[in-house]
Amino acid sequence: MQVTYGQAVADALREEMERDEMVVVFGEDVAQHGGIFGITRGLYEIFGEDRVKNTPISETSIIGVGAGAALTGLRPCIELMYSDFLLVAFSEIYHCVAKWRFMHGDQYKIPMVIRAAAGSAFGAGAEHSNCVESLFMHTPGLIIISPSTAADAKGLLKSAIRSDNPVLFFEHKQLYQVKEEIPEGDYTIPIGVADIKREGTDITIIAMGLMVKKALAAAEKLAAEGISAEVLDPRTIAPLDKEAIRKSVEKTHRAIVVEEGNKTGGIGAEIAAMMQEEMYDELDGPVLRVAALDVPLPYDVALELVCVPNEDKIVEAVKALF
Amino acid sequence: MAYSKEFITDLYRKLLGTRLSEEKLVAIYKEGRVPGHIHSGVGQEATHVGSLVTSKEGDYFKLAHRVVSISSVLGVPFNNIYAEILGRQDGNSRGGGGVNHIADFSKGILGMSGTLGCDMPFAVGAAYRLKLEGKDNIVYCYYGDGTSNRGPVHEAMNWAAAWKLPILFIMDNNQWAISTCIYESTAIENPGADRAAAYGMTSKIVDGTDVLAVYEATKELSEYVRAGNGPAILEAKNYRWRGHFEGDQCKYRDPAITEKWQKKRNCVKRMENYMLENDFISEDEIKTMYEEIDAELNAAVDFAEASPKATAEDLFNNIFA
Repeated sequence: MQVTYGQAVADALREEMERDEMVVVFGEDVAQHGGIFGITRGLYEIFGEDRVKNTPISETSIIGVGAGAALTGLRPCIELMYSDFLLVAFSEIYHCVAKWRFMHGDQYKIPMVIRAAAGSAFGAGAEHSNCVESLFMHTPGLIIISPSTAADAKGLLKSAIRSDNPVLFFEHKQLYQVKEEIPEGDYTIPIGVADIKREGTDITIIAMGLMVKKALAAAEKLAAEGISAEVLDPRTIAPLDKEAIRKSVEKTHRAIVVEEGNKTGGIGAEIAAMMQEEMYDELDGPVLRVAALDVPLPYDVALELVCVPNEDKIVEAVKALF
Repeated sequence: MAYSKEFITDLYRKLLGTRLSEEKLVAIYKEGRVPGHIHSGVGQEATHVGSLVTSKEGDYFKLAHRVVSISSVLGVPFNNIYAEILGRQDGNSRGGGGVNHIADFSKGILGMSGTLGCDMPFAVGAAYRLKLEGKDNIVYCYYGDGTSNRGPVHEAMNWAAAWKLPILFIMDNNQWAISTCIYESTAIENPGADRAAAYGMTSKIVDGTDVLAVYEATKELSEYVRAGNGPAILEAKNYRWRGHFEGDQCKYRDPAITEKWQKKRNCVKRMENYMLENDFISEDEIKTMYEEIDAELNAAVDFAEASPKATAEDLFNNIFA
């Protein structure tokens, strides 16, 4: 069955709401309008105004109200529109949601999913194009998911909704319209398990979200030049599937990390540091990072494309290791 | 209003228990037995006790960082309250949260954020849950005058009113935010009640040191909220007797004003005078109650100090469900 990534997310939401009446959806413009990316379209008509609700433009409270509803028995899957806006609610997520159980004890749990659209989208500008996953990777207590395919998006969102822990779920804006094969019916994909998107023997390219597509394109080019690249998609950034990374570099002995966020203090920094601490003996070279330039993303599309990683930048980085 | 002896003595016992516990925390902090900080709520007990006694089974509570002993009124044993404050295994988070996070979900306590105000939306979320359940339960959401200037408080109130949720906001206006007087940071006279109209909410102002007045005002507003009329704000006028934290010398304010509140607006003494004047209780009975509660609190401190500390291994087990 072929569906778009956006439809896969929508299907997961609808199926989970059908399965469990405790699942509710709220956020800015998610009801009659169906969300500004159209993902929640139709839910209001099926599930009604009690379970699908528009909220005020109050990002801090979208998170906090979701958490309070989750604490008391609902399973909110809330939409925060652009993931950039998660920073409006940074304290709410970082201090409250992530730490609530730790601070109050094991009677407390927050089964909540925070969905948000991430990444560059051709001229959305410096406040509507960011990949902020790494900021949240820094605090314990959150599950962070960034799916790269329609199949992963559906299976992982279902797992996220069924999880008793708070989950940040990043959907890449450029992936919403990508149509791909997904399994039929109800299926889940376990949280914390990486996936090898292309097998290879010479180098491991670790990439997330849209960057998986770029890495696959780069791997194709590299193959033509005689370099066999393995593309590893962690799928969940927290918890990180270190074992899958280890297994891959035991075979390839080289690795680069590709991410769309800024390079400094990014996911690549964390993964590279972790690998040199824990897998040093397996590495025949440094773990390089391909990431966005450390500048705010510009509004001008030509300049935006200069900033974010693409397949040529990945090919270039890989070749530097040979 | 005619009250039964049983109601009055029960209310007084809760008031006195909260007062003596707040004083006990100050005392054991002075002795160096508390690992963190104490934000004493001595003097402000009536606001919390008088309002909470209107609650019923199935209600939720977002408590405040001052007058933390109030969770005893909701049925959390002093033993566990003190164990949490002393960072021990018998505390609700086994030393993970501490004085600002005394909680027991089975009693309806939602928990609290140390970043004051961030927890107000949590209370609104619980109210949304209650509204979907369709019973007449409500959320009691406590906050302070200083916190009222934070963004999440505004968001939470607007949201609660827009969705017509069953939540009663109770402002404990003690007039001080650390060293900044509310009237220095805020242009309105009543930072709780005056804002209600802007959200489309009803409100009341009450003397927060008169436990029966607080009870009556809360009873009226809580019934209004239970009836499905949407949220309301109760502003209780108080004064912070002690520093923001123990050790704060309060050099930024006039001690004469503090003394005046302590002498004329002592909620425990006011209740005792009322009870004696109306023959609800005798001096001897009051004395006995002091002794009983003090013994209970001493036993709680002993219990907490005997409770083992959490280990480093426990740290990683308390994060995810």
